[in-house]
Amino acid sequence: MSKIACFVEKYNFTDPREESALQNFKAAAEKQGSEFHFLFREDISEVPRYDAVFIRATTDPLNTAYVVSKTAWELGLKVIDDPESITICGNKIHQYALFEKYNVPRIPTMFLNKDELHHKKISEIFDALGKPVVIKAPYTSFSRYVEKAACETSFRDVAKRFFRKSDVLAIQKFTPTAFDWRVGVLNNDVLYVCKYMIPKGKWKHGAKLRGKPTVIWGRTVSLRKREMPARLREVALKACSVVGKGLYGVDIKEVDGDYVVVEVNDNPSIYAGYEDSSDRDIYRRIINYLSE
Amino acid sequence: MTVLVVSNIDLTTKLQVVKPTTFLDSTIKEPTLNINNEYRYLKTGYYVSMHAEILGNRVIPSCENIIDSSRTPVFLLRAAKAGVLTLPVLVTDSVKKITNELGFPVLIFAVNPFIYDGYKIAGNKSALYRAMKSLGMNYKFAVCAQPLRGELSAVKTYFGKTVNQDIDIQKIAEKVYRIFGIPICKLYIQKTVDKAYLCGLQPVDKEELSEQDLKIISKEVSLISEQGEAFGV
Repeated sequence: MSKIACFVEKYNFTDPREESALQNFKAAAEKQGSEFHFLFREDISEVPRYDAVFIRATTDPLNTAYVVSKTAWELGLKVIDDPESITICGNKIHQYALFEKYNVPRIPTMFLNKDELHHKKISEIFDALGKPVVIKAPYTSFSRYVEKAACETSFRDVAKRFFRKSDVLAIQKFTPTAFDWRVGVLNNDVLYVCKYMIPKGKWKHGAKLRGKPTVIWGRTVSLRKREMPARLREVALKACSVVGKGLYGVDIKEVDGDYVVVEVNDNPSIYAGYEDSSDRDIYRRIINYLSE
Repeated sequence: MTVLVVSNIDLTTKLQVVKPTTFLDSTIKEPTLNINNEYRYLKTGYYVSMHAEILGNRVIPSCENIIDSSRTPVFLLRAAKAGVLTLPVLVTDSVKKITNELGFPVLIFAVNPFIYDGYKIAGNKSALYRAMKSLGMNYKFAVCAQPLRGELSAVKTYFGKTVNQDIDIQKIAEKVYRIFGIPICKLYIQKTVDKAYLCGLQPVDKEELSEQDLKIISKEVSLISEQGEAFGV
């Protein structure tokens, strides 16, 4: 019997579908005889009392979640997401550099340093990637800090904003599709497969309505993992292999009959009735991995 | 052995020094010494180490050490595991917890994505509320609290060396460099009558680097470059 701490923040309970998924994790743990406790920010000092830590709060090397992850790791606990996965997935520059090194099929990507924001470099980027391009801050998550630019003026405007926090940005070829594949992977094995549909008239899964702060999300269509195309599985597992052996959500686009990786996310969203619709065993498998 | 020196600081050395932006556009495969006054995550100093690691170069400092040394609770946990004296640490957003478990006075560091330097000392509950409001960004983030038992000093260290004459402080600086390998940093150390406790690490502003400091840094860079010992060769 193991004691599992699930590190959460209050916002993890605001969406009933996420709260329901968290309760499903608790039920799966208790069914196999493990203890499962929600650990909030004020209880971080209790991490040593547990055997494993499962992080559901948003991860980033600068967030409290990293402190929890690294503390657990240093104490020899099993942890999802492990600190190295947070480091690589929390910084898309790091991730794309690894994709390049290990030849992972990916969307054409260039890096832009803060000192290179000038006409010549921007022209080179447009020449190489076409117009528009997608400008991505390394710390992007939930479709935030990813914007499109079709001219030098808007390119400069977006880049300047993103450069406030990071000295390097990723610029990608604009690749519109009707949906992104989302492949859930745990320890080098596929856990679930979904299609994250792009809302009509938009180009990313989570998009703002013009002039409004509200974010609208596309539908999530779940598929049985045994029905997924073999090449999709191969590309998803290859992308994860350069990151680590944890729990990931790989975003993949289908372009001209092949698959290219958009990004690998640690701490992937798991909402009841969405990612778990076709393969109901995802809760049990994650809990088993934590209590092994 | 050739050591590639990448620096954003004007060093007084005859060695060839590459600017960070030049290195980031290159594919030079050599042991890399990354000299920067600040190794903040997402800033150029961090990306130099990241680029070196992707190229497969041995690099000082590593990305892991850069991140861990700037997260005070992780920094202190790893230092304590390696035998450096530290005080009990609380990571929390609860004033009550700090008051009950640590008492006063208490030393507070930020643990959030936006504040990377500074600290506050709280001698009573209302000062603690103010410190948590400021370093916790209106109670939105947790803070790292430690008891304050002695005199707190900020000590600039270069490759684990410091001009501070206190032997206990010198020993801590040396050990911290051996654990984390951050070439240029400012250490916060508490000194009681008989002991010294490590409290935190923060970057050094370029303006804080005196001519004397630059000479020490340049000398150390030359030594490492000649001997290569720091890279295990």
